[in-house]
Amino acid sequence: MHLDPFELHRPTSVDETVRLAGELAGRFDYLAGGTDLLPNYKMHINLRPHLVALEDVGELAGHSEGRLGAMCRLADLERDRDLAATWPALGEAVAEVATPLVRASGTVGGNLLVETRCFFFNQSYFWRASLGFCLKADGDRCHVVPQKETCYATFSGDLAPALLVADAEVEVAGAGGRRRMPLGELYDLAGDGIRRVRLAPGELLVAVHLPAAARGRQGRYLKLRVRPAYDFPELGVAVAGRWQPDGRVRELRLAVGGAEPHPRRFDELTAPLDGERLDDARRRELGEEVARRVRPVHNTFLLPDYRRKMIAVYVRRALADAEARAAG
Amino acid sequence: MAESGTLRFALNGQPVTARCPDERILLDLLREDLRLTGTKRGCDLGTCGCCTVLVDGRPTLSCLTLARLAAGRSVTTIEGVGPPQRLSAVQRAFVEHGATQCGFCTPGFVLTATALLRENRAPSREEIERAISGNLCRCTGYLAIVRAIEAAARAEA
Repeated sequence: MHLDPFELHRPTSVDETVRLAGELAGRFDYLAGGTDLLPNYKMHINLRPHLVALEDVGELAGHSEGRLGAMCRLADLERDRDLAATWPALGEAVAEVATPLVRASGTVGGNLLVETRCFFFNQSYFWRASLGFCLKADGDRCHVVPQKETCYATFSGDLAPALLVADAEVEVAGAGGRRRMPLGELYDLAGDGIRRVRLAPGELLVAVHLPAAARGRQGRYLKLRVRPAYDFPELGVAVAGRWQPDGRVRELRLAVGGAEPHPRRFDELTAPLDGERLDDARRRELGEEVARRVRPVHNTFLLPDYRRKMIAVYVRRALADAEARAAG
Repeated sequence: MAESGTLRFALNGQPVTARCPDERILLDLLREDLRLTGTKRGCDLGTCGCCTVLVDGRPTLSCLTLARLAAGRSVTTIEGVGPPQRLSAVQRAFVEHGATQCGFCTPGFVLTATALLRENRAPSREEIERAISGNLCRCTGYLAIVRAIEAAARAEA
């Protein structure tokens, strides 16, 4: 399939990239691994006249202890056994993204900023033109929740929940310099679904930082999907914590992705459990409470009611698995 | 600004120069401009793995790769894996184990398996199944393909 013409730019430093982004304001997309952007371009979704390829920007590449470059390829993370041992939920989430071929090109930054998905959006131009375009691309209404203000497309990255329970921070660079923020603050929970992240125009994700204080937490990532070999998450549940020999849990974290326009963490539910022993009844209660707060809509393959029920099931299972691992 | 026009890279060990607009997809360049039609266009969206080639040794979905990003790199297609009279161990094993039926997915599987065996000379069955999980085959049911890759690993040991 041929793409419509665009101009490709290949900056080699973060400064050059940010400068270029300023010059091309509003008329470009960043190109990371391309495994999400290029399928959308092939379907004529939100085309821009310029692409800024990030693969020559050395600072974005690779990963080291505690730092994941935005352009670090998922396959390279997957090969790192130490990473999976130190950050169990992250190791599992990385290995569950799409297929090995997608992971060979796909990147950390691309997965965190992956375009949200909806079956009225991820369709060919012809399909979308036939029904009438939606407000996420070319149109002014939502076909899922009929109104004209908010997009309900689903956040479909696997890494975000796992990085949220690792207390990860993101480093971004823009015209105003560099800043760091907790990953949870990257996602604009109050946004309209079109504006999904709290990045200034042209601001670039440089790296993810994993804090030393969270190293070695036990964890688990569970992903719901129809075809285990390929699909985007219909639900992703990540948990992490430190289970002590007496079964009490500290630093408990729980995050959900694949169910709403944003991934999010549920500190208000996990903080009160600090120092508690979680028996099956407590795990079930917590799962049901999370499920009550998450509202999937009918825009992916599985029905929202089923996805919601599975939130409770996956929270319970993920906690039980993590605790069993901690007990060795 | 991006320089337009000419793209230079190594294709199956030979230097290649091609005219290449910025938006050209590697798969299209290979099949339509360079007439190497061994690399197949399946879904064209990264789902099926039929278009897999190696870029600097890494298995890569050529349908989701801009051709210009191959500049200065080494690209291997099925045509470069082994000539008809001197098939590679993976290709021979595919023939001997009936791992090909209609053959459409075969180039992608061969490239994926070739990359796997370069990285892991003695993969377990689970590792093989995992490595090929991004390649779709509608004919074989995969078992013959897995057995062929196991045999190729033994042959290369």
